[in-house]
Amino acid sequence: MTFLEKQTDPTTPMHWNGDMQADYFYSNGVAGDKFFKHLMKKDTFLASMCPECGVVFIPPRLYCEDCFCGIPDENWVEVKAQGVIRTNTTAMMDAHNEPLEEPVVMALIEIDETDGAMLGRIKTDMLGMDLTGMMVKAKLRPKKEREGTMKDILYFEPY
Amino acid sequence: MSRKVCVIGIGHTDFNSITPDVEWKELMYESCQKAYVDAGVDPRRDVDSFITCAEDYLEGFSIFDEFVPDQIGAVLRPCCTVCGDGLYGLGTAYMQIKTGLMDVVSIESHSKISDLLTMGDILLHAFDPIFERPVTGPVERPWYGGSPEYPKEDPKPLVGSTKEKQRVHPYFLAGMEMQNYLSTTGTTEEECAEVVVKNKMNAFFNPLADYEAKISVENVMGSEYLFSPLKKLDISPNVDGAITFVLADERTARDLGADPIYLSGFGWSSETPWLSTRGMFADYATKASQMAYKMAGITSPRKQIDVVEVDDRFSYKELQHLEAIGIARPGEAGQMLMEGELARDGTIPTNMSGGSLGIGNCFEATGMQKALEIITQLRGHAAKRQVSDAKVGLAQAWRGIPSGSGAVAIFERGGA
Repeated sequence: MTFLEKQTDPTTPMHWNGDMQADYFYSNGVAGDKFFKHLMKKDTFLASMCPECGVVFIPPRLYCEDCFCGIPDENWVEVKAQGVIRTNTTAMMDAHNEPLEEPVVMALIEIDETDGAMLGRIKTDMLGMDLTGMMVKAKLRPKKEREGTMKDILYFEPY
Repeated sequence: MSRKVCVIGIGHTDFNSITPDVEWKELMYESCQKAYVDAGVDPRRDVDSFITCAEDYLEGFSIFDEFVPDQIGAVLRPCCTVCGDGLYGLGTAYMQIKTGLMDVVSIESHSKISDLLTMGDILLHAFDPIFERPVTGPVERPWYGGSPEYPKEDPKPLVGSTKEKQRVHPYFLAGMEMQNYLSTTGTTEEECAEVVVKNKMNAFFNPLADYEAKISVENVMGSEYLFSPLKKLDISPNVDGAITFVLADERTARDLGADPIYLSGFGWSSETPWLSTRGMFADYATKASQMAYKMAGITSPRKQIDVVEVDDRFSYKELQHLEAIGIARPGEAGQMLMEGELARDGTIPTNMSGGSLGIGNCFEATGMQKALEIITQLRGHAAKRQVSDAKVGLAQAWRGIPSGSGAVAIFERGGA
């Protein structure tokens, strides 16, 4: 320490208890709106295909990150809400370092007929196991309850 | 451009799990003052430009750069904050000097992570808000004395499935990546555990380290699975501290009578933020290292580099990064470790400092911690952990969960 004066009594250091209010209203964007408005009516996903390299993006985007070109309307494709687990983990700890009441199996799911993947929860009792390669499909909310957010995908389950 | 850039001063605080006795500005002041004394410069007269590296959310400030100048000697001087790992600041300083715009530049980065009570939430804030973050669960407002409208008994859930009550810790992403790494390379959990044992043992010989320990592979393997296959001891614990470097062009370094360590190569790269299309093999490190090797004229890294510090904030990351930067062939870093090649007397001593597993996770100062060790080694000041005849060293940085960004710096002793 480069100061001559230091705190030496461990009972005296004080602090100010700060709180950062940080709430947002995130726009889905053109691509996101299209995906979620579709999901409110159908039991399938929408993906978008790059007109130059043919990569099929899900979550869909309006542009290709490799070719840096726009993806036109006619390049959107409807795909099944199912896929194969690329990798997964069984989470035991919550964001505040406390044990989760129930372990949560999180996975990256490669969506069929696309080159992309979606983050999802897996409903399974195979806790702590490597589920790579497992085929899973999305369990969606009943249509009348859908609100056009990721909450409409309740979880993925093996089929 | 023939100007050579070198490190002429280093300074750092002690690293501690908590630092309730000092504020973050005092940490910064201490490390800067030490670096200026080490370099033999007066910041108010001799330092032309000041760079800090910090992330607003981790600091708990908006527009953090406005809070910087006073404690580093930069009031009414050229000063900027790079929102990223400290190694990115090093690259920025390199460019300022290389172009001839500045002669002497200081770079500071630090961690006061113990001030942050909601680290998990803040890191989850770095996930895509539309498609990814909601999957992790609802935001619950923890009760730390603020927001009376959301009491502890009735926190207001903002996002996430209505059926979920708790939010998953962001380190789940490291668990997923580790599983992918193990299954695709054939590396074992035991080999990852060996990284923890090695680095925590190395930390005994580094006075900077806060998490040295004599543990066994069995201890690591027996620790709790938090994000399988990632266990509690595979994860670097948090630490507070600050690190500052002073860089200068070769001529100024000579005039100051410094013992220069040359920054001979630097590279950086960013992956796509989308988990959807992102690779899981630390491609950011591969790209950054290739750029740095080219600049430094390194064609055979394993032969030409004497000492290496790579990001090891999760045990598997050390092995993954060694493979990504071409020190190990794909899938062979674990084997190199088991054969003792990463030890002090091995062919490529790695994380002699103790790494993040032995020192602690110092967040945006992590890359600087890696570079600090390399400079100390090249100066020959590493005492019992000194690698003999170390002339060329590499420091690699990763920005941490959930990022796919990183940088690589090559340092050389005695002329690049």
